[in-house]
Amino acid sequence: MALRLQRLPSSSPAAAIVARVAAVALALAAAGTLLAAGGARPLDLAGQVLRSTFGSDFGLEDVGLLLTPLILTGLSVAVALRIGAWNIGADGQFYAGAFAASGVALFIPGPTVLMLPLMFVAGAAGGLVWILIPTLARAFAEVSELITTLLLNFVATLLVYYVSTGPWLDPGGHALATTARLVHDVPEFWGLIHWGFPLTIVICLVVAATLGFTKWGYEVRIAGSNPQAAAYAGIPFRRRLVAVMLLSGAIAGVAGMLEVAGTVHRLQGGISNNFGYLGIMVAVLARGSCVGVIAAAALMAVILNSGIVLQTQGVNTSTVLAITGLILFFTAIGDELAHFRLVRARPAES
Amino acid sequence: MDLITSMLQTSILAGGVLALAALGEVLAERVGVVNLGVEGLMALGAITAIATVVTTGSPAAGFVLALIVGLAVGMVFATIVVQVRANQVLCGLALTLMGTGFAATIGRAYSGMPAPAVFAPFELPYLSSLPLIGRALFSQNVLVYLTYFVLPALIHLLMFRTRHGLNLRAVGENPAAADAAGIAVQKIRFWYVAAGAALAAGAGAYLTLAFVPSWSEGVVAGRGWIAVALVIFAGYRPLNAVLAALLFGVITSLGFVGQARNWPVAAPILSMLPYLGTIAFIIVPVVAWRRMRLAMAAPAALGVPYHRDLR
Repeated sequence: MALRLQRLPSSSPAAAIVARVAAVALALAAAGTLLAAGGARPLDLAGQVLRSTFGSDFGLEDVGLLLTPLILTGLSVAVALRIGAWNIGADGQFYAGAFAASGVALFIPGPTVLMLPLMFVAGAAGGLVWILIPTLARAFAEVSELITTLLLNFVATLLVYYVSTGPWLDPGGHALATTARLVHDVPEFWGLIHWGFPLTIVICLVVAATLGFTKWGYEVRIAGSNPQAAAYAGIPFRRRLVAVMLLSGAIAGVAGMLEVAGTVHRLQGGISNNFGYLGIMVAVLARGSCVGVIAAAALMAVILNSGIVLQTQGVNTSTVLAITGLILFFTAIGDELAHFRLVRARPAES
Repeated sequence: MDLITSMLQTSILAGGVLALAALGEVLAERVGVVNLGVEGLMALGAITAIATVVTTGSPAAGFVLALIVGLAVGMVFATIVVQVRANQVLCGLALTLMGTGFAATIGRAYSGMPAPAVFAPFELPYLSSLPLIGRALFSQNVLVYLTYFVLPALIHLLMFRTRHGLNLRAVGENPAAADAAGIAVQKIRFWYVAAGAALAAGAGAYLTLAFVPSWSEGVVAGRGWIAVALVIFAGYRPLNAVLAALLFGVITSLGFVGQARNWPVAAPILSMLPYLGTIAFIIVPVVAWRRMRLAMAAPAALGVPYHRDLR
């Protein structure tokens, strides 16, 4: 009996999950093989990574600190994907949020209880402003948001570099390329983990619930999966697109605010740590599911943290970026393969 | 006078990097494949060129090897997006992450090392003594002539003056119809994506062999993305793409001039110009000249994988 492959228009959830897990495993195996070819001993390294990540409070704290920005940037990308928009600019919105929140902290005096919420709003507004032009261009002139959001990343990086080495440079003069220490901190509750982490989980669940259980969320999902059907049903696609993209930018901006106010405490160049780009990975691994983002972010946090461990072994952070690229590659292939199933071949009709 | 000549010279050098990458992207997009891996391919080309020239001392070897590396990586990318038909956006982003990450990993050993040899200027007799534009246009290295005159002309003729060119454009517009007419859709897509990737890597080599003759992490600095945007701005036409790249060369050189002449604007702000310019140039024309949209539209099947059995 002959078998043949048949392609289905959509993949079954089970096949999709198997494809994702297999993709990550294969990508890590491929990376391990490459590292071995470069003279490293991948199995020893993997053991070391697991021990130092899960074997100590210190390692778990590190993972926890990485989780907050990764969940938020991942959520930012995932939300935009729901309506079919690619926000490749979460990195820039992250910087813009960090910039706006730091500006508030540096130049407006006030008690911390009031200032933290104000910084939060400023961070969200910063991210929102940063995605405003790509959003309007996409909604009203059909200009691909992929490239406009991405190019603004470079502008935001330069902006933060400029203020932290120029006008906002620490007047105390001890640090070279950073602003003064921000006086308002997001309080910590376990080691170095600050309250931004539970807040992030709450934001994630609220966004998931809004998209999953409200009329607005339903309309967004319909508009994302079939714009024609949405138009036919009287859903204002353009208005939903604008709202979702602005929300996406604001979420990435909040990530930047929490990073300056909770973890780094100063505005400086390189503060985004590629979180925006890694957010794309997180969103793709989560298949655009907002709750799935938490799990995908946890995986990314462990991989990122192993990058820090690997650095002591002569493997640097750019290698980790290359490995995430490899995972993304395998995921894209796995996604496509998950569409196929084996069927019995029928004799050709004559 | 002198200022204009030196600005034009810088513009041409800077624009050439973008032109080469944009020409490669025109090839890929015309057959219906978006390659968002240009940034990563440029990084790979740049480090290949520097590593080769440090080892062999020959910039020509560096450029050729970068083309070969680009072609090989492009063939892998094409296998995945054309044959396996995986999502082009995801694979392009993955290629960029991998390319920049891998190049930075190898590049650590070469960081900050000046290229021991670069392409030397080659003066075209008579033309180079023209006033104002002579030195800038006709006393450049061989890569500049290749990028501005030879390649665009060849690609334009191939694309718009041959039957093969008609076929390749048909593949990007309507692969099902092309397939029915007996054109080998997958084969054409595969080779043009691979060739486009080779040119992108060549653009990276141009960067480190002729423009900023050394490697540093982040040396590509978004030029790959600007090149992708330029293709849209140029309406997917090779000659327009080169002119658009030159325009961006001018914007880049404006930043350099500003820095050199101590304009009262900070250097990082001047460095924003090419990115802001790119965004303005892909948004403004669509808004200002709505009727141009049809003429400048993307190939109809751009980004859509072709499955014969789902036709």
